[in-house]
Amino acid sequence: MTTPTPNESVLRQHAEQEFAHELEALRAADAHPRPPNWKLSPWAVRTYLLGGELENGVRIGAKYIGQARLIEIAISTLATDRALLLYGLPGTAKSWVSEHLAAAISGDSTLVVQGTAGIGEEALRYGWNYARLIAEGPSEAALVPSPVMRALEKGELVRVEELTRIPADVQDTLITILSEKTLPVPELSTEIQALKGFNVIATANNRDKGVNDLSSALKRRFNTVVLPLPATLEEETEIVQQRVERLGRALELPAEKPALQEIQRIVTVFRELRQGMTEDGKTKLKTPSGTLSTAEAISVVNSGMALAAHFGDGQMRAADLASGLLGAVVKDPVQDKVVWQEYLETVVKERSGWKDIYRACREML
Amino acid sequence: MNTQVFGVRHHGPGSARSLVDALRSLAPDILLVEGPPEGNELLALAAHAEMCPPVAMLVYAPDDPSDASYYPFARFSPEWQAIHYGLSQQIPIRFMDLPLANRIALRRLERAETSEGETPADGADGPSGEGGTSADPQEEPAAPWRTDPMLLLAQAAGFEDSERWWEHLVEERRDTQSLFAGIGAAMTALREHLEGTLDQQPVLMERYREAAMRRVVRAAEKEGFQRVAVVCGAWHVPALERRPKQTEDNRLLKRLPKVKTMATWVPWTYGRLSYASGYGAGIASPGWYDHLWGAHGDVAAPWLVKVAHALRGEGLDVSSAHVIESVRLAESLAAMRARPLPSLAEFNDAAQAVMLFGESAPMRLIHERLVVGERLGQVPAETPSTPLQEDLRAQQRRLRLKPSASDQSLMLDLRKPNDLARSHLLHRLRLLSLPWGRDGGSEGGKGTFKESWRLKWEPDFEVALIEAGRWGSSIAQAATAAVVQDARECEDIGQLASLARQALLAELPEAIEPIIARLQARAAVAADVLTLMDAVPELARLARYGDVRKTALEQVDSLLEGVLARIFIGLPNACSGIDAEAAERIFAQIQGVHEGLQILDAAALRASWLRTLAALAEMQRLQGIIRGRCCRLLLDSGALEEEGAARQLSLALSVGGDPSQSAAWLDGFLRDSGQLLIHDHSLWQLIDQWVSALSQEAFMQIVPVLRRTFSSFEPAERRQMGERVKRGMAPRLGAAPSDGDFDQARAEATLPLLSRLLGLEDRE
Repeated sequence: MTTPTPNESVLRQHAEQEFAHELEALRAADAHPRPPNWKLSPWAVRTYLLGGELENGVRIGAKYIGQARLIEIAISTLATDRALLLYGLPGTAKSWVSEHLAAAISGDSTLVVQGTAGIGEEALRYGWNYARLIAEGPSEAALVPSPVMRALEKGELVRVEELTRIPADVQDTLITILSEKTLPVPELSTEIQALKGFNVIATANNRDKGVNDLSSALKRRFNTVVLPLPATLEEETEIVQQRVERLGRALELPAEKPALQEIQRIVTVFRELRQGMTEDGKTKLKTPSGTLSTAEAISVVNSGMALAAHFGDGQMRAADLASGLLGAVVKDPVQDKVVWQEYLETVVKERSGWKDIYRACREML
Repeated sequence: MNTQVFGVRHHGPGSARSLVDALRSLAPDILLVEGPPEGNELLALAAHAEMCPPVAMLVYAPDDPSDASYYPFARFSPEWQAIHYGLSQQIPIRFMDLPLANRIALRRLERAETSEGETPADGADGPSGEGGTSADPQEEPAAPWRTDPMLLLAQAAGFEDSERWWEHLVEERRDTQSLFAGIGAAMTALREHLEGTLDQQPVLMERYREAAMRRVVRAAEKEGFQRVAVVCGAWHVPALERRPKQTEDNRLLKRLPKVKTMATWVPWTYGRLSYASGYGAGIASPGWYDHLWGAHGDVAAPWLVKVAHALRGEGLDVSSAHVIESVRLAESLAAMRARPLPSLAEFNDAAQAVMLFGESAPMRLIHERLVVGERLGQVPAETPSTPLQEDLRAQQRRLRLKPSASDQSLMLDLRKPNDLARSHLLHRLRLLSLPWGRDGGSEGGKGTFKESWRLKWEPDFEVALIEAGRWGSSIAQAATAAVVQDARECEDIGQLASLARQALLAELPEAIEPIIARLQARAAVAADVLTLMDAVPELARLARYGDVRKTALEQVDSLLEGVLARIFIGLPNACSGIDAEAAERIFAQIQGVHEGLQILDAAALRASWLRTLAALAEMQRLQGIIRGRCCRLLLDSGALEEEGAARQLSLALSVGGDPSQSAAWLDGFLRDSGQLLIHDHSLWQLIDQWVSALSQEAFMQIVPVLRRTFSSFEPAERRQMGERVKRGMAPRLGAAPSDGDFDQARAEATLPLLSRLLGLEDRE
């Protein structure tokens, strides 16, 4: 495995680059047994994802804020060589968790297959370099390996994003790979057997309709972990705050750190509209058509920060958030707009201390 | 002389296993168990072949059987295992707790005191099974360790809750050497800390109980037993090992009040053993403990196989491969969480991730079926019981209706004699406040000869049965006496009619006579028409059911006729001069009487009723809502032509009248019938014209009332109406279509749209 040198000018660093120091510290302090070809022991992976303090005083930041047992199930699943399926609404940190799991376990989160409706078998198995194929006939040199094949060879984790978007017949390619841990190459009468440490983490979201449901044969080969929406206002605020801070740093936004109170307001708006009820449980609300995930809340705060930095005085105000909010809530121009207006008039207007946000949002409509 | 005290947790399978080992090595010549001394004579029954735990020792005061206490035992309860060991070794066994005779008396005393003023402290209410977690709840909001002193120990050991700590240290322990000495030492330290440092003195009841236990231990020692084994909740160990002077205990126990008590065994359920039932010393997972007790060696695979079977039973596909993978995941989770063996939390996580694809809903099923469990115990026939219990058991046998702790549905065909008898039994039990059977919801088939029930036996019913003993010595006799007594105390004729119907359903012919007599007496003096109207729906049902049930009910018919006649006469007067609120009530009652008459097969009565309604509809000084509804009911019954209704409507909604009355009329006419409005064009137009003609002020005045009417419609109906209004006078949906007689102009109006749909014509 070659560790790519972290380059400061890339837009977004891979998890193993961004958190290289944490992974290094964990590796140094890790005394537990490691499964073959794992870079860290399951305990260390758990600490990496859920955060904690090592014996040598290094603080590990939490990557996933939520139920610890879900992460434990995910890691244990990978340790038993079963494939892992992360399932849930869009924006519930499925890809985020899978990236960090791959980074912590294999030290490499770059073996990814992005599932789309147009994907073919070669994306999961191997393709051919046709020039060579025609010139030399089938040979190993003419073979173009997929990320899955490379993971098999190296004994690493491969991630399959949006598994349910892949057409059903292509999905089924995974069955042999998952149950027999081998990839036959009939053209060369050979096969590639997985080294220990190989495994698949797939993600799929359960909101989109018209996707290709998994066949039960394939489903059976996965252990499923459903990642829920954040349970409490505090938990969600913490997630948004932490992510926004990191993203702000990565994008070199000059704006001041957003006030906790501002984030809390955004998260409150999102939670209330999502639940169809105000946080005090007293008023019923209509819910808009979008999912209003935590990830969207993060992006609203982020864009607010950017607006404040480049066009404002650097301090994020209600006006900077309003356009982002409108965009996140109103996905359907007719129905969602009504929902949003109703929410503004019945809830936001009445709430003390929310006058600025009410006025800013009113102006947008 | 050697006295050993074994501190256990009630219902701990690990404690039970350790205790049996310890007893075998001690080989005691007498066994003292924490439990009610009233049950000493019943102990021998524990070894009876027909005795199946979970069962409970029930001790009650015969003068008021609701004053009862239970001591539940499961097969994994240490006490149960100790009793079995004692019986098999043929050594004497004695219960050593404070007699219930004293405890019930003390409880009554306390209740009498608190009822005079302060808020009741119901701490003493729970059975004495609390042991490990025994401190009574305090009145003021207290530190958590006050209700759960073990928490102090658990926290010292770095655990968050005492249950997990105890489970980890005691229940899941493999070697049992010196376990009880360790428990004794821990409890001694804990109680010294509580009573010394924290100055937390045990409550009075606890001091009585421990003094009583010491008395029994001393007596056994005095009688010359050489190896005395004492089994009690871990909490009491220090109190039994370091005894104060005998005279002190004697002084404490002197002159305690007493009542007469009786004891028996009753069947119990795992559901009632769990926390959810509100039983103080409940455990979280009886079914899981049962599995732990029953499993020898491997725990994981058999448990997950059970889970798989339960899921398959519900139609979920779970293969053996799933089970294998679940076991592997559970084991690796346990390793990750630094546990020597997977426990329930790991099995649940594994089952959810592997078998259920992350779904959480079916986990509830597993929790109910397996983790808590549905097992219902059984007691031998020789158990002492009251005549009423015997009678019920005999009937259950005869009718093949076995009590079960799980929720079951039962469909009865009342034409079959056996089913009819079952129905009678269930109805009778209901009258005795024993809701073994509840309404099965959907009536399953329209016929009145079908009856659907949901059956679920609760252990409480045994007490309710003993309590019902005061009414008589057979079920039928007791139910008759109970319902007649209820009727005697009942003033309301609606409720009386309902009682009569229940008595009829339960086939208590001797009860019907007095209830009907009471009903007639009440009806005769009831001056209020409205009260009479309340009774009509029930009476109508009564008259109707009489036919199917082969019970002569001429009295009901004549009673109903009399009541209705008085309603017909009195209703117009009762309706006049009332406010809107009273009108609302009458509105509902008119509806009720109308529906009651619908199920009766009495043309003459119906005709009189419609005449009354017609009179009401014409009375202009009545509240609009009543007139509107009368008009509507007449229209529905066909007594009023459509034109007539249209006339009434336009009259009621005409510009000259009071707008609020017009709106109320509309409310009465249209409530809950949006479809009529959407599909009846002439009606639609009438209302449309009326609304359009309103002046600005008048409109603003009636908008709230209109809103109320329209909000009773389904959202879909409202949307349809809204769309219709938006389109203005666009396509008419048409009144009831009829052959041949169609409107040429209207038919032609559809042509442009049709040709556009078919693409025969370019858009303008």
